[in-house]
Amino acid sequence: MHEVSVADSLLKIAVDECRRSGYARINNVRVSIGKASGVMPEALLFAFDALKADTIASGAALTIEEVPVAGHCSACNSDFTTDESFVLCCPMCGSSSYSIHAGRELDIKDMEVD
Amino acid sequence: MKLKVASKILDANDRIAQDNRRIFSDAGVFVINLMSSPGAGKTSLLEKTIAGLKKSLDIGVIEGDITGTDDAERINRLGVPVVQINTGGACHLDANMINVVLPDLPLDELDLLVIENVGNLVCPAEFKVGEDVKIMILSIAEGHDKPLKYPLMFQESTALIINKIDLRPFLDVDVDKIRKDALSLNPSIKIFELSCKTGEGVDQWIAWLQTLNS
Ligand SMILES: Nc1nc2c(ncn2[C@@H]2O[C@H](COP(=O)(O)OP(=O)(O)OP(=O)(O)O)[C@@H](O)[C@H]2O)c(=O)[nH]1
Ligand SMILES: [Mg+2]
Ligand SMILES: [Zn+2]
Repeated sequence: MHEVSVADSLLKIAVDECRRSGYARINNVRVSIGKASGVMPEALLFAFDALKADTIASGAALTIEEVPVAGHCSACNSDFTTDESFVLCCPMCGSSSYSIHAGRELDIKDMEVD
Repeated sequence: MKLKVASKILDANDRIAQDNRRIFSDAGVFVINLMSSPGAGKTSLLEKTIAGLKKSLDIGVIEGDITGTDDAERINRLGVPVVQINTGGACHLDANMINVVLPDLPLDELDLLVIENVGNLVCPAEFKVGEDVKIMILSIAEGHDKPLKYPLMFQESTALIINKIDLRPFLDVDVDKIRKDALSLNPSIKIFELSCKTGEGVDQWIAWLQTLNS
């Protein structure tokens, strides 16, 4: 639901970076969005397309790479990933002695500019 | 031409949240970001909390709503400093919205500042505003499936208040499941069951709040 704010921040960063590096146009922006971030890719695309209109990113595509939730369990010493947006216990052994190290990302990776 | 960016999308917000945090700690005020879906009882809990703590703590409130000043008026009646923020559509408060109203609050005189976020079970959890702790409310009328459907807020919160327990006889809701799922998502979450209507359980909550603030 807050995809509009996320798209807004993302556009600001992209436009600033592009100008600072002396380019005039953004063709593509690549982002990583964690599955546990609460951001829905379709809604982010929609918001990005709506907000980019009068900017130097008006012709830009948004490429979204989804990052699965991943963690490590200290009980069975295994690394795991899951398709869910949350973890309730280690999917390997069921223990709750796990820590999550991926899945909350909201990052800009790079962009194509002219 | 490919440009590497490698930045967090919400970096700007996080930086302003850090500024707010510094302002709060310099003023010696403890800050709670209070979150829930619409109508779970944020303002009602604030009213009870202020009534119970007003003698021992100086409390201030920031009210976040999409529109309107009803909540700020309810708090104003209790004689504590309050500022209303209208987000004009945004589903959450962000760090900058808080930053611009800070001059309107007597921070140096406050011990505790509660920021009532916009009613929403998803978005507020994503945006830091400079708080010491996030605390959330779930009213039992919302159903016991909520922790697993909206995990983020449960994961981010230091405490969960299960409100409206006076309605238990009228609802088919499994409060133990709410507890169990919330604890699975966040093993260290502190849970209170209470009713802002009857006052049941409010004392335990207030006692815990005092330990946080000291
Ligand atoms: N039965 C019962 N009703 C309650 C309780 N707590 C709050 N309410 C009622 O629930 C309604 C919403 O309460 P509020 O405190 O305004 O909720 P809120 O979370 O501040 O709502 P928004 O700011 O609009 O998101 C009001 O009509 C309250 O009287 C409770 O413990 N039991
Ligand atoms: Mg309210
Ligand atoms: Zn394991």
